Amino acid sequence: MAVSTRVSKVVIAIALVLARMRDPVAQAASPSAEARSKPSQFLAIVVNRSNPVNNLSFSELRKIFLGERNHWPNGHRIAIAMLDYGQPERRTVLRLVYRMDENAYQDHLLRGMFLGDVFVAPRTLASPVIARKFVFNAPGAIGYLRASDVDDSVKVVRIDGLLPDNKDYRLQIDEPRVE
Amino acid sequence: MEKPPNRSAPPFVPAYLLLIKRWLLARGLSRHASIVLLLLVLLGEAGVAVFVMLDLSRSYATVQGMYNGSVQGLVRFGDLQYEAQETRRSTLYALTTNDGNLMVEYADQSRNADRGVTRGIAQYRSQARTARERQVGQRLADDWDAYLKVRDEVLGLILEGSPKEAVHLDLSLGVPEFDRVRQDLEEIKQTYDEQASQQLATVAELSRRSMVRLGAALGFGLLLGTVAIWAIQKGRLRSAVELAKLQMDFVASVSHELRTPLTAILTAGENVRDGLASGHDRLFEQGSVITDQAAQLMELVDQVLSFSATSQVQIAQTLRDLRVDEVVDHALRATKWMLEAADFTVEPQVEPDLPPIVGDLSVLSQCLQNLIVNAVKYSNGNRWIGISARLNQQDREVLISVRDRGMGIQAADLSRIFEPFYRSPEVVAAQIRGTGLGLSIAKRGAEVFGGGLSVSTQVGVGSTFTLRLPVAKEIRRRSLAPSARTGAQL
Repeated sequence: MAVSTRVSKVVIAIALVLARMRDPVAQAASPSAEARSKPSQFLAIVVNRSNPVNNLSFSELRKIFLGERNHWPNGHRIAIAMLDYGQPERRTVLRLVYRMDENAYQDHLLRGMFLGDVFVAPRTLASPVIARKFVFNAPGAIGYLRASDVDDSVKVVRIDGLLPDNKDYRLQIDEPRVE
Repeated sequence: MEKPPNRSAPPFVPAYLLLIKRWLLARGLSRHASIVLLLLVLLGEAGVAVFVMLDLSRSYATVQGMYNGSVQGLVRFGDLQYEAQETRRSTLYALTTNDGNLMVEYADQSRNADRGVTRGIAQYRSQARTARERQVGQRLADDWDAYLKVRDEVLGLILEGSPKEAVHLDLSLGVPEFDRVRQDLEEIKQTYDEQASQQLATVAELSRRSMVRLGAALGFGLLLGTVAIWAIQKGRLRSAVELAKLQMDFVASVSHELRTPLTAILTAGENVRDGLASGHDRLFEQGSVITDQAAQLMELVDQVLSFSATSQVQIAQTLRDLRVDEVVDHALRATKWMLEAADFTVEPQVEPDLPPIVGDLSVLSQCLQNLIVNAVKYSNGNRWIGISARLNQQDREVLISVRDRGMGIQAADLSRIFEPFYRSPEVVAAQIRGTGLGLSIAKRGAEVFGGGLSVSTQVGVGSTFTLRLPVAKEIRRRSLAPSARTGAQL
């Protein structure tokens, strides 16, 4: 299993290098394009820029994603943006934050909705770009993006006082992006 | 004495029309005047064309300004209205779906549309000219900002999963705010409509004014052209009539001049034939009558032939240097019999050492003889003639003047006395015989040799005719006048 994962990483890396060699525009691209060609392996937790929260503990983050906390300090209802099924970011969040697999997460969600513990189901969004726009438009939104997908339209929240590029940051993706 | 009725023009006739009538039309136009008049017409028409082009250019600029101001303004307004509706429509679409992806897409569309509206409002405010436009623009910007705040909250509630709250907020705040925006847009549309109406009226007025100007300009050009053509035609007709009249007068005059000596010759011949003239003395007397009258007849024919020759510039004289006193003496000898018969006193005054002139002796003598004959004819009883010759150092000319103390020439006749066949009404009335060719022949004869003939006169005091003839060196220096070269050999 580990061998096949490494092989697929190498294949994807070679494909990216070849594609870049063929595309002169991409060769002269900006640093952000460079960054996008090498996706960050760190997962940033992002909120709407109007949200006063700048820092969350990991346990607070977990409570929010599990639906145990429904409102922000400013009164806005918390709206969770989840990426679509099969996305590495989603699997990372399920693994590190929810500490569940996909099936367990679905069970948890159904149970929470049924019992009324979860007011609003997380929005399942097709891509990181849509997720970023969702967070930008909804004052109470919270979501997750690769650090390389973050821009100025959203705000990155520190987790236990750490940002994605800090040492000992916990939310790391251990698999490549699925294009 | 009864005065003739006042025939002055009515007061509404402008002075320039009278000027045209009296000066241009009544007198007819010369060839040069016709050319000048045609050039004036051409310039006038060119001016009219420039005027029309400038007028059309101004009209085009005004219409273009109207298009930029109103039509494009209305187009921008239409875009603005559409984008505002799109902003709201996309927000409402977001309410109708549970799909988060679609919600985000609709939110995105709403934001794109609202950016277009914000840009449009800024553009409208930057181009606002009147206080009303600025006021409406400011109000629209404020109302739009207020609506966008509500819209943002509504979108947030939709995305956060609170559709009921979103609907409530939209109905309570979003709808009234958007209605205010709509009212502002309607007011802007009204200002555009008013501007368009005003500018349409301006264009209509401009168009009407252009048509009037164009009509007036074309009418003016047509009138000017018609007047010019009429004047030219009238001038030609008048010239033809005058020429015909002069020819008729000439024929009558020549016939009369021919009839008189012929009658005398006929009578003398009949006297001899019928034996009425008997004896040597009587026969000699009748013979003298015949020869004198024949000589007079010959002279008349010579004069007509001479005029014909000079008028066609076909003189083939043998040119040579002539002494001025030689020319004067020749003319005096030729007219001696006439001067003595009329008992005239002649005072010749020729400066000594005059430089020679160039010409043909018989032609120049004929010129001088014509002047002497005229002095006798129009002496008005004062039987004195002064003939002088002097040098004009400045122009290097010899001036030969024939002066009399006769009747003088009316000012009105001065410009015409050198025309062939012309005889003034006073002379005709006084029954002074002549062909009207003498002065014309003299002038033409002087001009053939590069000179000229001028006159100074005073009615009742007398006249002085002066032949101006270039000295021999001068005429060679000038390489001969064009008229001298024609048919002449140096």
